[in-house]
Amino acid sequence: MPKLKPLVLLGLSLSFAALINSASAVTVTVGLDADPPRLDPALSSALVDRQVMNQIFDKLVDLDVNLKVIPALATSWKVTNGGLLYTFKLKSGVKFTDGTVLDAAAVKYGIDRNRTLEGSVRKNELSSVKEVKVVDPQTVQIVLSQPYGPLLAVLTDRAGMIVSPTAAKKEGADFQNNPVGSGPFVFVSRVRQDNITLSANKNYWDGAPKIDKLIYRPFPDGDVRYANLLSGAVQTVTPIDPKDISKLEQNTKFSVMNYPGIGYQGVWFNVTRAPFNNKNFRQAVAATIDREAIAKSIFYGTVTPAAGPFPPGTSAASSAITVQKPNIALAKSKLGGKPLTFTLLTVPGSVTTQLAQVYQAMFAQAGITAKIEQVEFGTLLDRADKKDYDALMLGWSGRPDPDGNIYDFFVTGGSNNQAGYSNKTVDGLLAKARAQNAMSARIATYNVALSTIINDTPYTWVYFQGNQVASVKGLSGLKPIPDGILRFKDVELK
Amino acid sequence: MIAFALRRLLSAIPTLLIVTLIVFAMVKLLPGDPARLILGQEATPQALNELRRSLGLDRSLPQQYFSWLTGALRLDLGTSLTDNSSVSHLIAQKLPVTLELSLFAMLISLLISLPAGILSAVRRNTWIDRLLTLLALSGISLPNFFLGILLIYLFSIRLAWIPASGYTSLLENPQRNLLLLLLPAVTLGLGSAAVLTRYLRSSLSETLTQDYVRTAHAKGLTERQVTSKHALKNALIPYLTAFGLQLGGLLGGAVITEQIFSIPGFGRLLIDAVFTRDLPVIQGVVLVSAVAVFLVSFLVDLGYAAVDPRIRYH
Repeated sequence: MPKLKPLVLLGLSLSFAALINSASAVTVTVGLDADPPRLDPALSSALVDRQVMNQIFDKLVDLDVNLKVIPALATSWKVTNGGLLYTFKLKSGVKFTDGTVLDAAAVKYGIDRNRTLEGSVRKNELSSVKEVKVVDPQTVQIVLSQPYGPLLAVLTDRAGMIVSPTAAKKEGADFQNNPVGSGPFVFVSRVRQDNITLSANKNYWDGAPKIDKLIYRPFPDGDVRYANLLSGAVQTVTPIDPKDISKLEQNTKFSVMNYPGIGYQGVWFNVTRAPFNNKNFRQAVAATIDREAIAKSIFYGTVTPAAGPFPPGTSAASSAITVQKPNIALAKSKLGGKPLTFTLLTVPGSVTTQLAQVYQAMFAQAGITAKIEQVEFGTLLDRADKKDYDALMLGWSGRPDPDGNIYDFFVTGGSNNQAGYSNKTVDGLLAKARAQNAMSARIATYNVALSTIINDTPYTWVYFQGNQVASVKGLSGLKPIPDGILRFKDVELK
Repeated sequence: MIAFALRRLLSAIPTLLIVTLIVFAMVKLLPGDPARLILGQEATPQALNELRRSLGLDRSLPQQYFSWLTGALRLDLGTSLTDNSSVSHLIAQKLPVTLELSLFAMLISLLISLPAGILSAVRRNTWIDRLLTLLALSGISLPNFFLGILLIYLFSIRLAWIPASGYTSLLENPQRNLLLLLLPAVTLGLGSAAVLTRYLRSSLSETLTQDYVRTAHAKGLTERQVTSKHALKNALIPYLTAFGLQLGGLLGGAVITEQIFSIPGFGRLLIDAVFTRDLPVIQGVVLVSAVAVFLVSFLVDLGYAAVDPRIRYH
């Protein structure tokens, strides 16, 4: 019996220690607007996936608050051979959280997987990559078949996320449910529609995170998201509805970050059939929209009126393109006394419904009749593909490089060219811009292309989105990076 | 009784087969393309075709139906399009949550509607009946989402007694489980209690005017004896039906309530599947709710047959 006593004491003290430990474990719960569907860099097609994947996977390069490309796994890089050869030097001593070594071979595996895996959504972004070469364990080269200026920016997102080759080979199609990377957090578990739980990677090469546990929870309804922040169930929420921002700003317990993003919203016109195969009709509709009024009345000033695809603060933003002012007289003259009636296709949702109704009222001022039809997102995209619509409301989450905001949208046959727009001059200019390396030269090329596109009006830009993040006051260290993805490595909770 | 139960079960087979056909056709008739939704705005036509083939969407409809049906018979409902997990597994994960929530809600509904309905009927046209009627009508007219948000505002934000949302399983932490389910169960239970109170009031009022009740009174039984022994038993039959319907409805997914309180149940699985056009999940959830509604109504029938032996011989 006496032998047992020390054991009991040890057990007690251990469980006490565990108790203290668990009590001091810092957990941050994040409220999102959707349940991230696919946690695999190759298969992810939803914006919200990136919120979680950014903590699990390291990328070759990253973005800073000014959208500048900064080192991550790659400590330095060189572009040679007229923009055809990218040589990256890798950080040494990095390991994936399953123990696999992260070297040039792993980077090659990750990028090759992204550009070849069946069903990969990254194929388009990486289509100019001819080959990935391992030079030595710490050096990797990407060889392009044609110059592609946006490559670095593309690698700051999912295309540049490096997965553990061991785990990816072992899990196969199930990798998205058991993702393994080398990032500051480790995937622990997920319950669909309830939570995704991550824990701190204590051995992270850039120092362990300051919080122990990171939990993501989806709240599709904006009011529910807001209520959960107020009640303390979550410590930070993104996005928060514009209508709740001023209330939170006045509340001393919370802080709000409201900063520009890189995406835009607007209206597509189907140029392949009547009525919008008539350029005058497209210009007439675009001329009725009061972009300032929309930014103020629907979004409480959290968005910026848009002149084109490049938001202020991004590298290709240019003062040469100005926001179109509403001009009802011009709209009427473009109509030439002919009646214009069409259907505006949109997705359900309180903000989109409101926006559609405001458009409807603005169009009506010039005597244009628009009927609103609401379908869910998949159907909207499908009908856009089949060119089975008149006009539709659709935007883009944005990419750090300007190419990602314009090329696929206006090039003939582009995968995001919902209008069916085709203009040889524009095709040539967009191809030229992506092959140029100096941003000043690219901006000049884009401005020429944009003057044609804006005049042709297959799409009319209405506003640039902002990023709205609300947190409890004790949470610090979140940076307003314009891609809208929250990075939790340096976040603290007091 | 057993023969009755067997007869009732056998007659359900063709019905369930028709249900599978309707579920399948319904999902197929939905506009849009699941491959497009999965791949989103960045899809290339080549990737779309690859995905359609790997999802089996290029096969003929009868082929797709047949392989789905034979799978369903083996409890294999296919794999989710969004994250590749098995539909049966997802349903097995979500169904207990909704089952618990529904039973909890129906318990609350029972505890309110039984006394309220009896009191209303016995004290017909008095002030208490009028008050209960008013409450019941408000309960019926008040939408779930409104009541839910109201409860969150009061108990989670103002008073900070109960977390606004979330779910912990009963096995993991029973106390927290009940705490978290309380508000959603009250939200669902109050609405259902309002309906059931009205049912019980009207059926019991009607029974109380019957001849045999008058006879019982004439025999010199007290009011309480007449109501509880004679009238209530018969008045409970329509109440039982309504109760079954309400429970079946809840099992089919308390969609809005689960959404508001972020409960990872059956209803949210369905909503999410509809938004992501996850066809196998939609088919699986609708099929399982149809079976659940059938099972509840089967149990209600058995209950009937127990209360009223005449029913067994029809």
